[in-house]
Amino acid sequence: MLRVKAGDLDRMGLLFERHYRALYGFLFHMTYQREASEDMVQTVFYKMLRYRNSFTGDGEFVAWMYQIARNVIKDNVKKNKPGNTYYDAGEIADRLPGGTSADEGFEKKQANAGLHRAMAKLSDDNREILTLSRFQELKYQEIGQILGISEGAVKVRAFRAMQELKDIYAKMER
Amino acid sequence: MKMNCGQYEEKFSAWVNNELGPSERAEFEKHLAGCEGCMQEFTAMQQVWDLMGEMETPQPSANVQVKFNAMLETFKESEAEKKGTSLKEQLARLWQWQPRWPLAYSLVIVLISFTCGYFAFRTGSGGKQDEQMKALSAQVHELKQTMMLALLENPSASERIRGVSYTSEIKHADKEVIDALFATLNNDPNVNVRLSTLDALTHLASHPEVRQGLIQSIVQQDSPLMQSAIADVMLKLQEKRSVNSFKQLLKQKNLNPGVKDKIRQTITQLI
Repeated sequence: MLRVKAGDLDRMGLLFERHYRALYGFLFHMTYQREASEDMVQTVFYKMLRYRNSFTGDGEFVAWMYQIARNVIKDNVKKNKPGNTYYDAGEIADRLPGGTSADEGFEKKQANAGLHRAMAKLSDDNREILTLSRFQELKYQEIGQILGISEGAVKVRAFRAMQELKDIYAKMER
Repeated sequence: MKMNCGQYEEKFSAWVNNELGPSERAEFEKHLAGCEGCMQEFTAMQQVWDLMGEMETPQPSANVQVKFNAMLETFKESEAEKKGTSLKEQLARLWQWQPRWPLAYSLVIVLISFTCGYFAFRTGSGGKQDEQMKALSAQVHELKQTMMLALLENPSASERIRGVSYTSEIKHADKEVIDALFATLNNDPNVNVRLSTLDALTHLASHPEVRQGLIQSIVQQDSPLMQSAIADVMLKLQEKRSVNSFKQLLKQKNLNPGVKDKIRQTITQLI
């Protein structure tokens, strides 16, 4: 990213190549909107190009990217009407790609869909922390950088989020 | 969970994400083995955590990549433009940095020496050369004109067309050329020759006698092709005086019906 900042804009293509799938995953889990997430990927990368001079280089590029992504999500939520933002949780499951083969995939898909539904019921903050740690496979220290809190606080919040998710999931299974 | 189990919450998060060192890990697992409440709670949470690992996330479509590349290209272009302007500013700054008076002084010296040199060489043989050049170009002009006039008399239609096309190279068409062209326009047996003559005359429409001749020629044309072509030319030149000639043409009995429509249209557009 520092080379992009120095004017080598082609390097941004490389960074895009490396990170856009993960970024898309994060945006999708935070909004459950496929097309909007694709647009937001675009917006995030545009902002990084535009404001490349604000990248100081003392944090990780990834942390910076997610910080921008969080702002983009906030803007997106503001633009949409509140009721419009989230799809029904059941619908989310239907939107997800199915298992590979019908029989073997079915049970897995069921569990998958249930968990997705449970995830959708989490508060935004909790879902964010779990998405970052589990799906984006970031270290707690990196998440702390993104959210602007200490590593210890991240761990505590991650624990609370997981506890909440487990309880919601258990209730749904019953 | 007991009251003092709270301290293990952080540990659990780290443990499940493989972020514990070996000693911390051993300590955490020792606590689990001894505390049934924690064991139950943590095991259930770990199951959910593992299940999450199997969850599928939809993949972005190929569009994203395409759109990004397009965005990057346009961004680079706009950036390049910005650089261009900043370069201009830098040049302007360079001018400010230069000591102005010495720079202006040397520019004046250079200018003076150039003008001196120019006059020195011009007064020598310059005048004569100019005269010679003028005579030469007049001769070439004359030659072209004679050749064109000769070609217009040629029995082959393609040679006559060639002759007509020479007029575009003659800069100042004089009366002789224009008369020859009109003779061809009104009397040539081949319709293609007449069409290209009309084209050549259109280019000379700045001469008032050419306009007059064209208007007079309207009634003399009997081919439908020529009639509609001349109507187009009149429309292009916005020649209102041609309306009477067209009205006269409409009175002819054996006029092609298509041409009739076209001429009516031309008349209305001209008026």
